[in-house]
Amino acid sequence: MTNSIAEIRDADCIFITGSNTAEAHPVISYEVIRAVKRGANLIVLDPRRVPMVEHATLFLQAKPGTDIYVFLAMMHVMLREGWANEAFIAERTEGFDEFKGTLEEYTPERASLMSGVPVKQIEAAARIYANGERAEGKSAYIGSRGHSAILYAMGITQRSNGTDMVMTLANLAMLCGQVGKPSTGVNPLRGQSNVQGACDTGCLINVYPGYQKVTDDEKRKAIAQTWGVDDLPGEVGLSIVEAMQATAEGKVRATYVMGENPMMSDPNTSHVEESLRKLDLLVVQDIFPSETAFLAHVILPAAASLEKDGTFTNTERRVQHIKPVLQAPGEAKPDWWITGEIADRLDKKLGVERETEQWLFPSTEAIFDELTKVTPIYAGMNHARLVGEGLRWPCTDEEHPGTPILHVGKFSRGLGKFSPVTANDPAEQPDDEYPLILSTGRVLYHYHSGTMTRRSGPLDWVQPRGYVEIHPEDAAAIDVLDERAVTIESRRGSVRTRAKISENVPQGTIFLAFHWREAPANMLTQDFALDPVSKIPEYKVCAVRLENPRTKQRSPKPVMEM
Amino acid sequence: MTLTQSNTIEQKEVFLELTIDGQTVQTRPGSTVMEAALANNIDIPRLCYHPELSVSGGCRLCVVNVEGYPNPTPSCGLACEDGMSIQTQNEELFQTRREIIDLFVAEHPLDCVTCDKAGSCQLQKYAYEHNIKETSHAFELPRTLYQDDNPFFVRDHQYCILCGRCVRVCDEVVGAHAIDFAGRGFECHIATPFDGPMKDSACVFCGNCVQVCPTAALNPVSRMGKGREWELERIKTICGYCGVGCQLEYALKDGEILYAQATSDGPVNGEMLCTKGRYGWDFATDPQRLTSPMLRRDVAYEMGLTKEDWTLPEESPLKVRKPNIEDSFVPVDWDTALDLVADKLADTVKEYGPDSVMGLASARCTNEENYLFQKLFRLGIGTNNLDHCARL
Repeated sequence: MTNSIAEIRDADCIFITGSNTAEAHPVISYEVIRAVKRGANLIVLDPRRVPMVEHATLFLQAKPGTDIYVFLAMMHVMLREGWANEAFIAERTEGFDEFKGTLEEYTPERASLMSGVPVKQIEAAARIYANGERAEGKSAYIGSRGHSAILYAMGITQRSNGTDMVMTLANLAMLCGQVGKPSTGVNPLRGQSNVQGACDTGCLINVYPGYQKVTDDEKRKAIAQTWGVDDLPGEVGLSIVEAMQATAEGKVRATYVMGENPMMSDPNTSHVEESLRKLDLLVVQDIFPSETAFLAHVILPAAASLEKDGTFTNTERRVQHIKPVLQAPGEAKPDWWITGEIADRLDKKLGVERETEQWLFPSTEAIFDELTKVTPIYAGMNHARLVGEGLRWPCTDEEHPGTPILHVGKFSRGLGKFSPVTANDPAEQPDDEYPLILSTGRVLYHYHSGTMTRRSGPLDWVQPRGYVEIHPEDAAAIDVLDERAVTIESRRGSVRTRAKISENVPQGTIFLAFHWREAPANMLTQDFALDPVSKIPEYKVCAVRLENPRTKQRSPKPVMEM
Repeated sequence: MTLTQSNTIEQKEVFLELTIDGQTVQTRPGSTVMEAALANNIDIPRLCYHPELSVSGGCRLCVVNVEGYPNPTPSCGLACEDGMSIQTQNEELFQTRREIIDLFVAEHPLDCVTCDKAGSCQLQKYAYEHNIKETSHAFELPRTLYQDDNPFFVRDHQYCILCGRCVRVCDEVVGAHAIDFAGRGFECHIATPFDGPMKDSACVFCGNCVQVCPTAALNPVSRMGKGREWELERIKTICGYCGVGCQLEYALKDGEILYAQATSDGPVNGEMLCTKGRYGWDFATDPQRLTSPMLRRDVAYEMGLTKEDWTLPEESPLKVRKPNIEDSFVPVDWDTALDLVADKLADTVKEYGPDSVMGLASARCTNEENYLFQKLFRLGIGTNNLDHCARL
């Protein structure tokens, strides 16, 4: 997030898109609701009628994959009506003139045709967001323009054009100057306790800790020196989905999985399973026998986050200390101990000798101290400084107080760059054979692949079984009744679950959460078209059909609308 | 921070000055006497007031004397004015508050000896401070409903003092509005629509109502009868679920978690949590937890650790209804498992090169663990084939 969670309550306008905030980030939804109760406008753009819509001033229900047209049209309207923040554009940004030209063709009329969102709604959303209009009450801020914040999540990024989508939101915020001030910004809501930290510490194919590119010779060699070698690998590695392909081809022979369950969470499960079975060595380090663990050669028992010491970085870049609450069961060990032991033994097997100890640390504090040496954005942190409220990166030296808001006064790169974007449609479109769109996501009571929450008594009591949300018309077309069995088929596979007939999904779209091992949504999702930059799979759109298992009726071909 | 307070940075700082108990206090225009007092560590007794919620003014316990006002006035709803002079403690206020508490306990059982909330109950605290052993009025219990219709919390209406904090938090913060006041007079109680089960209401089981409840009317199921407040060990940490990073406190007895709650000093979440954070911790002690390193049976056989050969079934583990890990794996000691992993990784690197190894780190592990994991791949193995579930 460019801004803070606590600032949301003071926003004048909040624009939520591609985020089911109330279910996936409930505590952030509380901040949004507080803002709304104080008179802020809430705009929600989503294909599904997510719970936050109940609190929204404006709900733009765009067909899956067409939201890009709406964003571009909003900017088109802002320029046409003179709502853009020209002073901000002139002082703080570059590339505007080139960018401006690309918006001409994206009229609200065209967006309306593509997305099904009425022109008037697009224009109203543009006006409210650009000017930070309130529904009622007095703004917490002075100035002619209110403060508008964008919140987004995987609905934006899990797309074959996810990078374009994020750049579009950044363009939108820059066009209105809604960035670099409190209660504004472009705010991705991150899904897992330490997903921000796992990225910050360099568990990505293309960057070393602190987002230092693997291809940057100077920075890479500096890290190498700290680690006691001359150089380190400088080529971008394989992403999860690419690695599965490489495994199938025999190029990847060994995989070490720490706390992850690709059999449930990666797209096209059949292909994932086929790949994992081919490995010469699959090591799974986890707290439970996950679906992936059953294919492993070696399982290593890990301590859960409730049982260990260390730091987590949250979605607003706040690094916080976690403390052990319980004792790890049996012989389970913290992941850092296990990884250190493997690395140390591997050195010995490979006959590598190091001048200084690189793997066996006495405590997490010692690891963190080394981490801060190679991670400039964490450089000013240590465990002692994190007591209490933690620190927010960038925190570059020991006097630095941390950074609550990014891009204040100037952007990290200097001037904010407008990146022209063209609207691209999802890779797999519905057709005669597979006429419906499947969107995957989460529900309130479960978390990711369900390994933890499905073993929690109270949470599993509320939602013990999976279901697929189907629009009444789509259900009627195959004579499926509420709570009855239904089969979902895609080109990759099929799953059977129970139907939940609901108008929360638009006609032509179905929604299935990926928590249920009995109905694993990723049997259906596609892995052939990834976002070219971020390599994110398109979990939010793939083509499917429904079948009534009793009568064998299938979703009919779509009728052409005239 | 309250609903009425904001984090305004751009507004010019204007301050009002008033005197509370002889102490000069500066505050922002629009703040209440209660807020100004609490901000300056002046404690005013209160039951229905909660800093994260709107003002209700129902309990009257927070009455104060204002110079020039004829009667005691509730401080929670009283706007600060420049030059105001306030008294929060004196004999008259003490007697007024004592009478209010006397009326509360006329319909609240004083069975503190067996009550789970004893020690953190606000009514108990004020009864103690005002020296009330029992009510001087006729004791009558107007509400006796006991609702244990869900595994998250119990609603025991005999302890409810109708302060309305639960109703306000559900509406103003959570936005669910699952409960409200129903009935009038002695019939008045907090209810779901038509007094139906919690699960059929708009409730999202976040338990923020339990968090703000000042008495034992709302209590977590997991703690009932398992320990007194003063016996519990409390450990503050960060929630392990989503990326919001809420601070929470686990209350334990003999190493067992009895309940989780937010603390008022959480920088991100204040006193609020969601259902997963507050109630989803019991997975940690599930009997299926992995407690020993394990080798797959065919690997163990190859190493001469088992007598029977075995092959991995072709059926997908997803198709097995209730898979049992012991059917396919045998426990081994750490040295055997770690040496085997190191051996096989070394063989793979030597035979196929470092890029034939892939690592999947975890968005649920700590920074320290992820740092070491990527270092193993980059320095120990020599590849950037390293990813995690950020994309999933």
